[in-house]
Amino acid sequence: MTSPPPLVDMQGITVSFGGTITALRDVDFRLHAGEIVALLGDNGAGKSTLIKVLAGVQRPRSGRLSFSGQEVRLTSPQHARSLGVETVFQDLALVPLMSVARNFFLGREPMCRYGPLRLLDGAGMDRLSVEALAEVGIDIGDPSLPVGRLSGGERQSIAIARAVHFGSRILVLDEPTSALSIGETRKVLTYARAARDRGLGVIFITHNLHHVFEIADRVTVLFHGQNAGSYAVADLNPESAARLVMEGLPIPGPGP
Amino acid sequence: MSGRGLLTRLARYPEAGAALGFAAVFAIFAVAAHDTFLTANSFSSILTSQSVPGIAAIGITLLMISGEFDLSVGSIMGVASLVFLAAAVSGVPVPLAIGIGLGAGALMGLVNGLLLVWTGIPSFIITLGTLLVYRAISLTAISGGRIIRWADFSRENPLLTPPASLLLAAALLLAALLAWISASGWRQATTTGRRVLPGIGLLAAATLATLSLLELGPRLFGDQNLIEIDLFYLLNGRLRLGELGGNFRVSILWWLGLAVLFSLVLTRTRFGNALAATGGNAAAARAQGIDIDRVRVIGFTLSGLLAALAGIVQTARLKSVDPLRGEGLELEVIAAVVIGGTLLKGGYGSVIGSVIGTSLTGMLRTGLVLVGVPANAFRGAIGALVIVAVVINSLVRRERDN
Repeated sequence: MTSPPPLVDMQGITVSFGGTITALRDVDFRLHAGEIVALLGDNGAGKSTLIKVLAGVQRPRSGRLSFSGQEVRLTSPQHARSLGVETVFQDLALVPLMSVARNFFLGREPMCRYGPLRLLDGAGMDRLSVEALAEVGIDIGDPSLPVGRLSGGERQSIAIARAVHFGSRILVLDEPTSALSIGETRKVLTYARAARDRGLGVIFITHNLHHVFEIADRVTVLFHGQNAGSYAVADLNPESAARLVMEGLPIPGPGP
Repeated sequence: MSGRGLLTRLARYPEAGAALGFAAVFAIFAVAAHDTFLTANSFSSILTSQSVPGIAAIGITLLMISGEFDLSVGSIMGVASLVFLAAAVSGVPVPLAIGIGLGAGALMGLVNGLLLVWTGIPSFIITLGTLLVYRAISLTAISGGRIIRWADFSRENPLLTPPASLLLAAALLLAALLAWISASGWRQATTTGRRVLPGIGLLAAATLATLSLLELGPRLFGDQNLIEIDLFYLLNGRLRLGELGGNFRVSILWWLGLAVLFSLVLTRTRFGNALAATGGNAAAARAQGIDIDRVRVIGFTLSGLLAALAGIVQTARLKSVDPLRGEGLELEVIAAVVIGGTLLKGGYGSVIGSVIGTSLTGMLRTGLVLVGVPANAFRGAIGALVIVAVVINSLVRRERDN
């Protein structure tokens, strides 16, 4: 029996800006359904650029990108979204002055038909958003509260729950815990795990190695825009992982 | 239920601060000038004079919620009024002239929007530029301080004379549409409380159908089957409200009707949600697949269209256009919108708040005169009101956010 093709398979991705600066050189990246891959690398290693390629924001100069075995040439962020790629950014995901329910359904609002008119289904939005949040273990209370009133962790959770609810298959969490308290961080990690358990592939970008060892299944490291390897978390320890990030050196001992 | 609970509930509405301010100012004038202020004359003059800036304020509200700004509305109003009346006095049928005037306004708004998204320059700068450019159009087209007058062209107001059958068909179609929408709402209502509005709609549809049949039906067979409609009256005629008196005008109905319509657009459509999201956090809106450039361009176009409509409605009453028509409108309108609770930086606000804000500035103007304050002090009072209103609004919002 052959295993299914990976959710995301990026091969030989090269990105250069203005023909002189090469942000990524010949990078490979793989993500399977039901796993959390931590993407590690120092500032400027090319993590964000790789994610932008995946999200359809940045077009690579060369390289191949496949979703579930299908080769795709992404033309826009909308295109990537339609293929199930959802990116959750720190702070960028929600509109603070808008209610939880309106944020949850932003751009995909459920509508009521009144004869020829189509109007927002406000009551439905409230009910569905509370249900969807409860499904991933978040109790928000009043869905008409403006998001600005919630804590950073709650906001991040709403963004994650939204991505899960709308059937994204690939969840990219871009430093989701960098501005959170310890308790909130714990919650966000729990939601990331819940997403994995529902069969999503999760890419987790972080500088915090403790989080990596807590939730990731695999680690992919970038160093100066190039692959510094991909390892099962079980084969790493915090010291070897830190050396990979800072020096890009392959670790001694049994490989993956 | 404590007073604090009431305040928290009020704070859910962006227009709460403006409503409180309105009530306070109203109470002051009602006490200080009760014999002159609490009259049909003063109410009608407030509503009639504010209906024109009120219509323009609706567009500015939508635009400001999307995080943008239009300083050129006064100039757009001037050019649109000019285009409308110039077309009408040169013999273009008046309904078509209205269309051309509205089109000119929408086009000027569109230009503002396209300049914004193409250059990325802040809308304050763009529309400061077009304020001057559009004004120059009026100034050069009507040079030498001339005034275009309808009276120089015709002694009579323009008449539309559709056959009774056409008007009856249109009325019945409208009634059927209203009945369809209301019946659909009635069916979907889960509680009797949510059937109030559909019930009113059904009643209105039945009334409209009955009245138009009774009024127009007999005319289908008589000699007088052409109906005369005075177009200037339709835009801004005098409403005779029985014994009430005063100078209530049709423009008030246009203003309030459009406010209800665009309030619905803002709170109950995807476009309204997109406007608030674009102003509240453009990056998040874009990340959710909203085409924020399109939202902004549509916002500017709507603002231009409504400024033009305000100008045409006003022109139907004054029956003349001078080159400075609409000058200074932008500041009055922006003040009214800000007083109404809409945030200058976008993301939050309400059309109903702007109706209250526009009424409040008008009430202040009339009321100050009635209590004997020199008319020239009015601008200063508006300025103070803007500052007080923004302070109250941010206090109310803080109550909501804590």
